Amino acid sequence: MSVQIEQKSYEMPPRDGFTITLFITVADINRSAEFYEKVFGGRILSRGDSKGASGHIQIANTWLIVNVGGGPTPDKPRTTLSVLDDPDKVSSFMNIRVADIQACYKLWKSRGAQFITEPISKYGEIRCYIRDPDGYIIEVGQSTDLT
Amino acid sequence: MNSVQIEQKSYEMPPREGISIAHFLTVADIERSARYYEKVFGARILSLGDGNAPGYLQLANIWMILNVGGGPTPDKPTVTLSVPDPNHINSFMNFRVADIKACYELWKSRGAKFITEPIPKYGETRCYIRDPDGYIIEVGQSTPEFKYG
Repeated sequence: MSVQIEQKSYEMPPRDGFTITLFITVADINRSAEFYEKVFGGRILSRGDSKGASGHIQIANTWLIVNVGGGPTPDKPRTTLSVLDDPDKVSSFMNIRVADIQACYKLWKSRGAQFITEPISKYGEIRCYIRDPDGYIIEVGQSTDLT
Repeated sequence: MNSVQIEQKSYEMPPREGISIAHFLTVADIERSARYYEKVFGARILSLGDGNAPGYLQLANIWMILNVGGGPTPDKPTVTLSVPDPNHINSFMNFRVADIKACYELWKSRGAKFITEPIPKYGETRCYIRDPDGYIIEVGQSTPEFKYG
């Protein structure tokens, strides 16, 4: 599997350079993998294993890596990974930029996505948010000031 | 703006069809973060915002969108965006690399703050960077027999 951008190729795992993925802590690897497959057409590459490997889902130009939470590890001795304590206190999130937000809203809703609101026009874009099975927000936005 | 191609499908930002995925970070200072990702990882700054719009970067196969925090909006009426608690993390960018020693040396020389040196673990060798807002960035190289470690 490879991604190409301006004559440079990206693979997972990469044979040279680096490829960027998004890690999210989830309660249930299979549940999340199936959500991202069903709603967005992601491709499940791995569902992890009993020794703690993560699930991998290829979706559009990136990959999602999902795993359950856990305590500190030798390479991050003060950091704990957990699902959201409070789904309304957010720092970072996946942002899906779309060509046709009305079409995406209807399609993804029909596949079970829980939207917080319908698409709403704001400065420079039309936007709405999905809650994934763990409560993460996913922004869905269509730019309106195309230049 | 630019395009990504995957298995004969092309991705653009903004997309003319389908979808393109970006990663949004709440940051304290858009320009500080944009310059950091430019200097350390070679990101391309597409926009520094205009005081109202977010910053936009292109980095490897994704785009990054950076903005300061803020209160609820009509399309997420209960959600507040803020910079992270650096020790309680839910999600993060995970950079999969071909040569972790080389990335560690290069990115460290450019000012990246690594929490530890690369450490072997099950299926991969791994280390973490703290970005200027305290986000962790995983840097990991899968072991050869472990495609999705």
